[in-house]
Amino acid sequence: MRYSPALLDHFLNPRNAGLMRQPDGVGVDEYEGCGDLARFFLRVRDGRVSEVRFQTYGCGPTIAAASAASERVTGRTVEELLNLKPQEVEDAVDGLPDDRKHAADVVAGALRAAALDALQRPRGGVQ
Amino acid sequence: MSRRVYLDHNASTPVHPEVLAEMLPFFSEQFGNPSSVHGFGREARAGLDTARERVGRFLGVAPEEIVFTSGGTESDNLGVKGLAWARGRGHLITTKIEHHAVLRACQWLEGQGFAVTYLGVDGYGMVDPDDVKRAIRPDTIGVSIMHANSEVGTIQPIAAIGAIAHGAGVPFHVDAVQTFGKVDLDLTNVDMISFSGHKIYGPKGIAGLWIRKGTKMVSVQHGGEHERRRRAGTENVPGIVGLGKAVEIRGRDMQEERRRVTGLRDRLWEGIRDSVPEARLNGHPTERLPGTANISYRGVESESVVLGLDLKGIGVSAGSACTSGNVEPSYVLVAMGAPLEWAMGAVRHSLGRSTAAEDIDYVVEAVEPIVRKLRAAMPVGAA
Repeated sequence: MRYSPALLDHFLNPRNAGLMRQPDGVGVDEYEGCGDLARFFLRVRDGRVSEVRFQTYGCGPTIAAASAASERVTGRTVEELLNLKPQEVEDAVDGLPDDRKHAADVVAGALRAAALDALQRPRGGVQ
Repeated sequence: MSRRVYLDHNASTPVHPEVLAEMLPFFSEQFGNPSSVHGFGREARAGLDTARERVGRFLGVAPEEIVFTSGGTESDNLGVKGLAWARGRGHLITTKIEHHAVLRACQWLEGQGFAVTYLGVDGYGMVDPDDVKRAIRPDTIGVSIMHANSEVGTIQPIAAIGAIAHGAGVPFHVDAVQTFGKVDLDLTNVDMISFSGHKIYGPKGIAGLWIRKGTKMVSVQHGGEHERRRRAGTENVPGIVGLGKAVEIRGRDMQEERRRVTGLRDRLWEGIRDSVPEARLNGHPTERLPGTANISYRGVESESVVLGLDLKGIGVSAGSACTSGNVEPSYVLVAMGAPLEWAMGAVRHSLGRSTAAEDIDYVVEAVEPIVRKLRAAMPVGAA
C-alpha cells in the first residue's frame, strides 16, 4: 500500500476540518510550485493550544497530514508549536512517500505561522 | 473492500480469455523463431500470418501493410519519424492534444531541423479541419492527428482532415490507439494508423502500424529483415497472435458493445450531474469515445477524488498529476481552455466490456460524499 492506514483514516475522516470563529492565531502556507495549501486556526487558552481547525487544498496526503497534525498539537504551548518540524507531521501519518513529503512541509509551515500570529497578537487574542 | 470496479480502460484492459487461450501455445509448443526455415519456425510463422490476416481483414487493408511493433508509442514514433526522415526536411502538422508519443517525437524532430505546427482545439477538444488547411505550407511533409483523445475522448473529424491533407498531397498519420476496435474509422484519406493490443483486451507490449502501400517511409530501428524491413527485431509471436485474436473479437463484438457502453457512459455522467453540485463534463457531448466520461469537480483536487474512490475499490484516473510537489493540470484540458479551478479537478472514467449498470450506480453513489468532504475541508477561493 502506497499510503499508511493512519493516513488513509485521516483522509477519509478528517478531524478538525473547517473554519473557526474569532481564532487567536491564523497561519497559511503554500507549497511553492504546487497548488497545495493549508490554513490553520488556533484557539489559545493560558498559553496552550486548546482547539485547532484547518482548511486544505491539495492531494490526499495533505488533507490527512493536516488532520493528524491538528490532533497532535492540541494541548501544546504556542512556543513549542513555533518549532514544529515537518518530520513530526509526517510521523503523525506514519510516513509519506518521497513524492508527497511536501504535505508535511506545508502543514508544519502553516501551523508555525499560526503560532507566530497568536504570539504577535495582543494578549487575549482578537475579541 | 468488497466490490471492485475498474473504470480505467483507456489506460489498459484485461486480456480476453479467448485471447489468452490462443496465445498460450506460442509460449511453449510453438515457440520457434518465425524467421527459421524449419518446422518450428514455420509454426510460429503461421501464427504471425494468421494474426496479420485478421488485422488486415478488420481494417479492410492488405495484410502485408501491417507492421507489428512493441507498443503504441513505438507505432507513433515509427509513423511520425519514419515519415519525416524519409523526406529529410520539411514541415509537420499535429495538435496540442496528441499523446506524448506523437508530441515528443515531433518536438524531437524540431531539434533535428524540422518545423512543426501544433494546432489548437476548441472547448470540446475538437480540431477544426480548416485550421489544418490553413497550416499546410509548400514544404509540409506530413500531418499527424489522433482519432480520439485518451483523456476526454473527443473524436476528431478524421475524414475531413484526411481529405484536406490528401488534397494537398500530404500523407496523413492517425494515432488510433484509443479508437481502434471501439469505433469505425474510414481509411479513405489516411496513410498510417497506430493501434495497440492492450487497449482492446489483448496483451501489453504489442501494437501495430498500418502503412498504406506506396507511402514513402524509412525504418527507425535497424537490424534484420523483419516486417518487410520496416521494423527490425524478432517478432513477439505470442503477443502478435494475441493481438490478432483480440482484433477478431472486436470485429465480432464492437458494434453491440459500442451501443451498450455509450448508454452506461451517459448514465454515469447523468447520475453524477444530478447528485454533485458544480460538476461538468469535459469533451464533446456526442462525438466522443463510447466509454469515456471525463468529469471535473470545481475547486477539488482530482488526485484526492481518485484516492477516495480507490478506497471504495474503484479505479479511475486523475486529470492532473501531482509529482514531487509539482501540480500540472492536464495539457489537454489547458488546450481546451478549461479554467484552472476546473482543470485541476478532472477525473477520467473509462468504461469497458465488463462494466455493468450496477458498477455505474455504485460509482455514482460513491462520488458525492467524497467530493462533499473534500470541499468541506477546502479554503474558500483557494482553488
